[in-house]
Amino acid sequence: MTALGQPLLTKPVSAKLAATPWGFFLAIAVLLFFVVAAVFPAALATHDPYAMNFANALHPPSFEFWFGTDESGRDLYSRVIYGTRESLLIGVGATAVSLSLALVLGSLAALAGRFASAAVNRIIEVLFAFPTLLLALLLVAVIGPSAMSQVVAVGVGTAPGYARIIRGQILKAKDSGYVEAAVALGHPRAWILRNHVLPNALRPLVAIFALSVGQSIVWASSLSFLGLGVAPPSPEWGALLDAGKQYITQAGWLTVLPGLVIVVLALAATTLGKHIQNILEKDEK
Amino acid sequence: MPRKLRVAPLVALTAAAALTLAGCSAGASAGPASDAPRVEGGTIVYGHQQEPACVFGGWIEQAYLSTQVLDSLVSLDENAQVVPWLAESWEESDDQLTWTFHLKPGVTFTDGTPVDAEAIAYNFDHWVGGGNSTAKVWLQGYYQSAEAIDATTVAIHLQKPYALLAETLTQGYFGIQSEQALKTRSDEDNCNSPIGSGAFVVKQWNRGQDIVLTRNDDYTSPPANAKHTGPAYVDEIDWKFVPDPTTRVASLRADETNVIYDVPAIEWSNLEGQGYQLEKYVTHGRPQQLTFNTAEGPFTDENVRKAFAYSLDREPLVETIGHGVIPYEGNGGVSQTTPGYSQEAADTYSFDADKANELLDAAGWTGRDADGYRTKDGQTLEVVLPYGAGSIINADGASILQGVQEQVKATGFKVKLIPVPQSEFFAGAYSKPSEKDISAGYWTSVGSGILLINWGQSTPDLPNYNNAAFYNSPELENYILQANSTADPDARNALYAEAQQYIADHALAIGLYDRLSTLAVSPYLKDVWQENAQGGPVFYDAYFVQ
Repeated sequence: MTALGQPLLTKPVSAKLAATPWGFFLAIAVLLFFVVAAVFPAALATHDPYAMNFANALHPPSFEFWFGTDESGRDLYSRVIYGTRESLLIGVGATAVSLSLALVLGSLAALAGRFASAAVNRIIEVLFAFPTLLLALLLVAVIGPSAMSQVVAVGVGTAPGYARIIRGQILKAKDSGYVEAAVALGHPRAWILRNHVLPNALRPLVAIFALSVGQSIVWASSLSFLGLGVAPPSPEWGALLDAGKQYITQAGWLTVLPGLVIVVLALAATTLGKHIQNILEKDEK
Repeated sequence: MPRKLRVAPLVALTAAAALTLAGCSAGASAGPASDAPRVEGGTIVYGHQQEPACVFGGWIEQAYLSTQVLDSLVSLDENAQVVPWLAESWEESDDQLTWTFHLKPGVTFTDGTPVDAEAIAYNFDHWVGGGNSTAKVWLQGYYQSAEAIDATTVAIHLQKPYALLAETLTQGYFGIQSEQALKTRSDEDNCNSPIGSGAFVVKQWNRGQDIVLTRNDDYTSPPANAKHTGPAYVDEIDWKFVPDPTTRVASLRADETNVIYDVPAIEWSNLEGQGYQLEKYVTHGRPQQLTFNTAEGPFTDENVRKAFAYSLDREPLVETIGHGVIPYEGNGGVSQTTPGYSQEAADTYSFDADKANELLDAAGWTGRDADGYRTKDGQTLEVVLPYGAGSIINADGASILQGVQEQVKATGFKVKLIPVPQSEFFAGAYSKPSEKDISAGYWTSVGSGILLINWGQSTPDLPNYNNAAFYNSPELENYILQANSTADPDARNALYAEAQQYIADHALAIGLYDRLSTLAVSPYLKDVWQENAQGGPVFYDAYFVQ
């Protein structure tokens, strides 16, 4: 966990969920729910997420409004459901950007010539020196707030940590017994790289991907919360938190419930990731 | 590794969060006894929402600050009468082309130089020469020259009569600075700590945090509408910048601030119930309104502008978001507290979906796309509405704009809201006709003279960058010009009303809500009031009680 840079949640909970089969199944169930919410939001929503209902403004959670309503009487539960697609896409997109960039940087750092890899390593270290959110803020400031810039900002912001992991994995594979054996057998370099080094080095990425999606959603929500995300009236989760914060003392549900949803999704993604990691580690042994 | 799931920390965390929330809403202050003794001195910690670039300048946030440090010639009292400040008296010549101001004798700036006619005349030229962009647009076309007749008499010569000159000069953009300071100090020094004759002087500006103002012990020149004479009661004002409204309210409740600005509507009644003193000033001048771009895009067609106006049910929207604190405003020209306001112009449009649909059909927007938005020749009826988020439009205002977006959806308008950060907004983003279809925003002004600034024609020789409709009408401009030069108040206001009706009839701009300047004050701090020209906080009379 610590190798991934920032631990996402309190270690005991996620670690133990990962070790528990029912935790794993619960995570799968939660993720499935959100996938359905992202693809067919209308199937899960109870109201029109944009329809305003002034008579029911700031209605606390109830049988009719499960998550309560906001200042304009919009149903918060339906808004959370409709916000899933954008939030998930930002999470997955940012992770894809992050891992692609990390793959290029990490491979270069591990495999390029001495000077080139030293140069790439320094670049990674410089990027690594910036806190993720600061780097992301910088990028949003330059390219302007939008869902796309969130994807890029969070992707680039989290890439250095993953680049380090990938570099380490490749170096580990390169020094392994089976690669030495392959070299001794006279296989060409490119062949060894393709058949031994990369498959072994990149397998943990599956787990990292699942872990990173949850984390990226949290980062993206942070940006939206700071007003640097999607344009209104999008119900993206971070934007919901941002809009709700003005009402935190009078209508706490507007921040607490979307916040919990973010926590639940991130927890599920992390649990799934850890579980995949465990399976892969068992395979290696 | 034990296989038990450890959820206790999460539960504890949630419980703690819930308790914190409950604590926030329940905390009521007892307040001081009614005969609580006064406390000498002390520091007022004031939580303001925005930090300007300089203390003195053309933005209201600067006027609020500079009135603490600079005195003006005149002040506006609570009955909207112009009363003496640095000027003891004034008169207008028979031809209405010369205003003569008689100054209080013996007043000095905090650098020791005298507040004399020479200095006043120099300030007028300084503003018009670019020293204050807003003072300049108020005076241009009218101001001719300023002349020091003797040490305490200054004559302002005009090109044409300007009936509301004295009212105009009560705004903070017309704060008087030391001539010596303007001439000899660097621009940076005059930006950070202008030298005036005010009740406070700038001690230190910690950028991004606060400005510390300290009492001018030699203060002799309060305005006639102040509650006492002599120096201020408190020692210092710590003018903090706290952009987030929730944080401001929390800081007041936690006693970290004594006064906060811009109270969210939702907190109003709660704070009042907890013993805080709430002050509300309904801004005079241009209300929070929507101006349509008549030069480019769908709103070049008057029918489409009218359709937009008829699509809106503004009053319930503003009432809901504003919780009875924010007033609905139908008038797109001036707000209901502005002298010369026309109720008839304000009532021109009310919600009428049928009429809106007819007008859009007539304008050729007859198709509908997959999302139900209207189309014409395959193009969606999409309009762009950028707004200065957190600077010009606060969080309540942003919610109201989302209501606008949702309401016009029914008749087929797709509104694209673009929240623009403060730095970008003031750097001129979204100011060109090609970049926006609707402009949102307010402009404080003592009288309806603001109409000239917003609706004066823009010509190549004299471009008017404040004409957000990009609409040049000699007829409209003429009403306003005539009004500005008419001495009789009734005749003047009738002309201003004509101008407002013209704006409404051509659907150039429609009102939304009145911009507020609000304060919540600790029960332990007395006599904080809002000046009447722009609603800025006045701390000169304020004192603490035990």
